[in-house]
Amino acid sequence: MHNLGFALDGAWRVLLAGLILGAGLPALFALGIRSLAWGAGEASVDASGVTPGTRRPWATALGYLLFAIVVGGVLLGLTFIVATGFGNKLSFEHVYPTIVPK
Amino acid sequence: MAVRPGTVHDHRVTETSVILALVVVTALAFDFTNGFHDTANAMATSIATKALRPRTAVALSGVLNLIGAFLSVEVALTVTNAVVRIQDKTGAPKAELLAHGGSGLLLIILAGLVGGIVWNLLTWLVGLPSSSSHALFGGLIGATVAGLGWAGVNWNGDGSKLDGVVGKVLLPAVLSPVIAALVAAAGTWLIFKATNGIAARFTERGFKWGQIGSASLVSLAHGTNDAQKTMGVITLALIASGDWSDTGNIPLWVKVACAVAIALGTYLGGWRIIRTLGKGLTDINPPQGTAAQSGAAAVILASSQLGFALSTTHVATGSVLGSGLGRPGAGVRWAVAGRMVAAWLITLPAAGLIGAAMWWTGHLIGGLGGAVVVFLLLVAASGGMWWRSRSHRVDASNVNDDWSSPAPTASPSEPLAAPAAPSALVAASPAAASAGVASSLAASSDPARVAAAN
Repeated sequence: MHNLGFALDGAWRVLLAGLILGAGLPALFALGIRSLAWGAGEASVDASGVTPGTRRPWATALGYLLFAIVVGGVLLGLTFIVATGFGNKLSFEHVYPTIVPK
Repeated sequence: MAVRPGTVHDHRVTETSVILALVVVTALAFDFTNGFHDTANAMATSIATKALRPRTAVALSGVLNLIGAFLSVEVALTVTNAVVRIQDKTGAPKAELLAHGGSGLLLIILAGLVGGIVWNLLTWLVGLPSSSSHALFGGLIGATVAGLGWAGVNWNGDGSKLDGVVGKVLLPAVLSPVIAALVAAAGTWLIFKATNGIAARFTERGFKWGQIGSASLVSLAHGTNDAQKTMGVITLALIASGDWSDTGNIPLWVKVACAVAIALGTYLGGWRIIRTLGKGLTDINPPQGTAAQSGAAAVILASSQLGFALSTTHVATGSVLGSGLGRPGAGVRWAVAGRMVAAWLITLPAAGLIGAAMWWTGHLIGGLGGAVVVFLLLVAASGGMWWRSRSHRVDASNVNDDWSSPAPTASPSEPLAAPAAPSALVAASPAAASAGVASSLAASSDPARVAAAN
């Protein structure tokens, strides 16, 4: 049953990486959308008519920063696909990813 | 066809060349079915949420599969080693299979490919996403058992790494949908928490691009992974017949042909499967689509980085299901999910039985005639299933219809029962029990599906 051991060992790593990249990045993306909406300022409607909300430039900036992190994750994925296709692999030895021959 | 190196002196030469041509055509046909069977994995959610129009989605996915196929410069010659023992470690065919111009090996490959194609078409006809890799492996296992006996199958590997039928097929099949479902459920829940109460003008555009981006990654990864398998199989056949000898490279025409075949298949779009995955399993909205595809992309890429290769189909299905579980108030149609799981369970044994039957057919008739009969059986089966699909068409125009409206897919009981019934005859197969369950599930699923849709 050595295969079961290898599979479970691989499975929890995939689950962990999946939760960080596959659930964490979309969550950051959603927070980015929330920041943009907040930065633009929600208009409020009441009896006196429509009042434009206050703009918050720092929230807009935060939103774009969050999007940038998500784009970074997508680029990491693209790098992985291209690197493995050409017989290389990604190494996380130095924490930041580097491309090394397989 | 490539010219044979040196002079060869056997009347079997021309015979082998014809068999080889049949193998190459069949392999490309498999690659094509692989493409349209798996369009749904990347694009079903984007089509269901209308982030992309159906035609645009399949075109984008097709182009990305084409690019992906060319990105895989790495040689995938040893692809069959995961499940059967017809090659050595370098990728060269086993010497004992090379008698008579390699026709023994060519017949195994041909029969295995036919098993994979027929199963892919059957599951497409009933609109079920099943793994194309499992169908290919199942066909090859069946043909190998028929041709070389049980010892020809690599069941468990040698214990040094995750390998063999158990390690590369069965365990990942059980684990991958669960992992993907957990990731997508967590992602969906977080997204709904984070965007609760935000105006639609912000969320709509954001999640449209979130879906397109993540679905594109899945398509690209699919092209690099799946086209390689067919390239490896064709090159193995070329080596067996003596038309290629370099185990370090794949002929350029093989690469081009495989890339084009999988891209065209993807562009054709398996609309029946797209419909099941996008509309049948759960009702998807854009945030869920983003979570499902991001989860699928992350799980697929992380698993191949970690050497724990998962089926794209199982991951995509699991993550769509997870996005239904993670959204507060959303429901999953468990009858549909049950049919999918049943299809996964019987994919390997069913494709294997077809592969074995094809090998025996080809072997009994023998030589070129046997290979031609096997090929004609494939053509007849494919034509029959295509003809049957015409009576309940699913295409770009009706792929997004309400799931509860009159079912556009063919009745699942008939076609599924055909391969499931013979598999029950193989008493020794541990899968026989599950095949029986599956056929009864399939038979009962039509009313169940309508009920679940309400």
